[in-house]
Amino acid sequence: MVNITRRSLLQASGLAAVGLASPLSAPAFLRNAQAQSGPVKLGCLFSSSGTMANLEGRLNYVVKMAADEINAKGGVNGRTIDVLVSDPASDWPLYAQSAKQMLQQEKVSALFGCWTSVSRKTVLPVVEQENGLLYYPLHFEGDENSKNVVYVNSPPASSVLPAVDYLMGEEGVSAKRFFMLGSDYVWPRTINKQLKGYWKSKGIPESAWKEEYVPFGFSNFQTLVNQIRAFADEGGGQPVVVLTVVGNSIPDFMREFANQGILATDIPVLGLDMVEADLEGLDTAKLVGHLNCWAYLQNAKGPANEAFLKNWAAYVKAKNVPFSGTVSIDPMVSAYDSVHLWAMAAAKAGSFDVPEVSKAFAGLTFDCPSGYKISMTGENNYVARGVFIGSVNDAQGFDILWQSKDTPKPVPFSPYG
Amino acid sequence: MKLARFVLFLVGLVAGGPLLAPTARAQALDRAGLIGNLCGNASAMGEAAAVLTGLAMSGDAADRAFAVPLARAVIDRKLACDEAGAVLTESGLDAVTRAPRPAAGEARTPVLSLKNRATYELADAALALRAAPEPAQRAAALKTLERRPALIPEGLLDAAAASETDAGLKADIETLAQTAALNAADPAARIRALARIADTPSRRALTKVSALTTDPAYAASPDFRAAVDDATLRIERGIAIGDVLATLYNGLSFASILFMAAIGLAIIFGLMGVINLAQGELIMIGAYVTWLVQQGLRVAAPSLLDWYLVLAIPVAFFVTAAIGIALEASLLRHLYKRPLMSLLATWAVSLFLMNLVRVVFGTQNLQFETPFYVTGGVPVIGDFIFTWNRMFAIAFAIVTLALTWGLVRRTPFGLNIRAVTQNRDMAACIGIPTRRVDMMAFGLGSGLAGLAGLALSPIYSVNPQMGQNFIIDAFMVVVLGGVGTIAGTVVAALGIGQINVLIEPLWGAVAAKVIVLLMIIAFLQWRPEGLFAVKGRRK
Repeated sequence: MVNITRRSLLQASGLAAVGLASPLSAPAFLRNAQAQSGPVKLGCLFSSSGTMANLEGRLNYVVKMAADEINAKGGVNGRTIDVLVSDPASDWPLYAQSAKQMLQQEKVSALFGCWTSVSRKTVLPVVEQENGLLYYPLHFEGDENSKNVVYVNSPPASSVLPAVDYLMGEEGVSAKRFFMLGSDYVWPRTINKQLKGYWKSKGIPESAWKEEYVPFGFSNFQTLVNQIRAFADEGGGQPVVVLTVVGNSIPDFMREFANQGILATDIPVLGLDMVEADLEGLDTAKLVGHLNCWAYLQNAKGPANEAFLKNWAAYVKAKNVPFSGTVSIDPMVSAYDSVHLWAMAAAKAGSFDVPEVSKAFAGLTFDCPSGYKISMTGENNYVARGVFIGSVNDAQGFDILWQSKDTPKPVPFSPYG
Repeated sequence: MKLARFVLFLVGLVAGGPLLAPTARAQALDRAGLIGNLCGNASAMGEAAAVLTGLAMSGDAADRAFAVPLARAVIDRKLACDEAGAVLTESGLDAVTRAPRPAAGEARTPVLSLKNRATYELADAALALRAAPEPAQRAAALKTLERRPALIPEGLLDAAAASETDAGLKADIETLAQTAALNAADPAARIRALARIADTPSRRALTKVSALTTDPAYAASPDFRAAVDDATLRIERGIAIGDVLATLYNGLSFASILFMAAIGLAIIFGLMGVINLAQGELIMIGAYVTWLVQQGLRVAAPSLLDWYLVLAIPVAFFVTAAIGIALEASLLRHLYKRPLMSLLATWAVSLFLMNLVRVVFGTQNLQFETPFYVTGGVPVIGDFIFTWNRMFAIAFAIVTLALTWGLVRRTPFGLNIRAVTQNRDMAACIGIPTRRVDMMAFGLGSGLAGLAGLALSPIYSVNPQMGQNFIIDAFMVVVLGGVGTIAGTVVAALGIGQINVLIEPLWGAVAAKVIVLLMIIAFLQWRPEGLFAVKGRRK
């Protein structure tokens, strides 16, 4: 029932868009026999409902904003961009179904989507079979390199490991013991596997860590926080929590953590999926000092970020977007980068065909709002990004505690797991 | 990274450099140098913290008074570093001269690294303990120091005790000083320290005390050995009691949530046999109404803002009850003869309500004030911490239970509900207006869901999807408890809550869910009518 509604909606919106645009379009720019005139279509695979809605939902609007920016400058290859939105409802198989529909029926030139790795894994066979192109804006567990996916955000080697190194270092807290708490799916499990391999390679004994998983959407963290306290009190060096729970489990965990009176100076939490949006609705005065690591933080310095924040605030106001105009998170910026990277590749290739566009990746650079010049090589579909370590402040944001000097070369396959 | 540190260092030099000129008083505090370090890189900031902590112990009173606001200003990010040094932004005074001046040029606020945060908290507490004017401030500082007895610099507590004027606080400081003397030279002091540590048992204390068995004194001195063994025993006992209490408390807390989510459903399901899939959304609406009350109070009566959770109780109840009554009158009334249809209809209502809220309020988590009575917790014994937001939910559940029980057992309306639940046709024959009872009972059940939303708002994130988390658990409780009995709902909630909490530490949260579901399935095979069945209720 739901499918039919969504499909018919999608078709209707697609038809409406084509219908509206075609009378206006200039003489057809027919680059090859298949190309149609009118706007070129991009598809979004971000949920507007379900447990991921609060985070993924805003990415739809960022993609549209980036497309508007490009359209204002005359579009790509003489054609304007039209963004199609779907709602996979935080239901992993639906992502694949939406992707198939977008690629087969709507003939989108590129897809932008997925937050959780499990949704990317379901979309992967579809884009490979249809030879589509998926831009994935989240930092993730690596160990994957498909020619049909552009990994816009960092693999663990250039996000998680620098952060863990920081915590273990002199400037951090000289962390010796690690409590890994994650949602039960591929990203936390792979990250934790790689971390364990990394610690083993540093000669840290197995007794120094503990691993726990909770179901998706889990919110009753009382017992787990008790376990963390017991783990910390065993002694043997500074403990830290490596948190890989996702969605609404993050604020619920942090609330319980603070309520049991644990401060960042007792046991710091490294929230690998924690963004500014997760702190909305929390009293962060008691959470000050907890950490996250991303390729962008809202407090990043530089004109590119100022411009991005201003544009986003203006866009939210103008289009009445149901998300905060004052909060900007890494995946938003990564989605924004994605659209620009795609447009640059398409312009460079002079085509919207996936093989042509993919060939144009080598040597692309873009001034990311993070302040770094991000770049792609021909070696793989990874994007070299900067690294930030943020520290929660009492204004529900993150202060930049540390940032990398430049953009480390992404390492797709981890040697540690 | 190195570059960033170097730049920071340069900034520190520029800020502090011109003022670092050699001073005549070699031992006196180099105030400008200290401020320069406060604005410096991570290691300079660490040095500055050490200087501040040193001042708390041995500096002269004037220097100490000078230092008191500094650590706090850094922690609160109220220190603006500029070319001329730094300004305390809260008071608008120059950090060195304490003359009013605005921050010049591009002021920068230093960010504390995690390591320095701990040292600055220590320095701030140490300074406050020595020099804060109010006893309450000094007591708060002592509480902070108590958290990390190992880091307290030697001599600080003795100096503080000597100058303390408040008798009660003085005794507290002396107690802490005795605790901190665990590794002192005097054996008597160590034995006294052991006794003090054993007074507040925790795993951390156990780790510390059991490490002493390798101490040379343990083998050499029988007195010391006896003290260590005695302390270990007492701490272990304390931890065991604490663990039992914590498990009970966690179970009770989870049970109270389950109960709140399920009680409304139990009444509706029991009375009408309607499976109300929109119950979760009514919980969500209760939480949103609570939020609206909070926002209203913020505008209308800011002084009452802290009490919004209490003031919202009638509002949440009546709004959700009204929605429930409207739902019953407009929709479900026509579907009583078709249970499958009513199931689908309530599901549609659930989707409708969820999306309506999403369109009106957006999908983000709502921001709630956390009044003092749902903030933080109190350590009781061992590792058991009594958290107030959970206590609020437990107390709320108990009051709700008492009121619902009273309503159903002691009022004419309750009598009607029970009569209709037991035998609808017979009740109708003796003149009970069953349709009216249905409507009111549906309203009651919905209102209870609204109250559940209110009670859950200090614990869970409030967003349009929150209701879906509860609906399955709530059904589990209702079915296990025996359809439509309050006692069954209570017992089932307590059972499921406690079993979950017991299993979680052993096999993890994922397995706990599976095992509990399997246990319920097995139980229902054996007793399909649930724990408490009303005899002769249904054919």
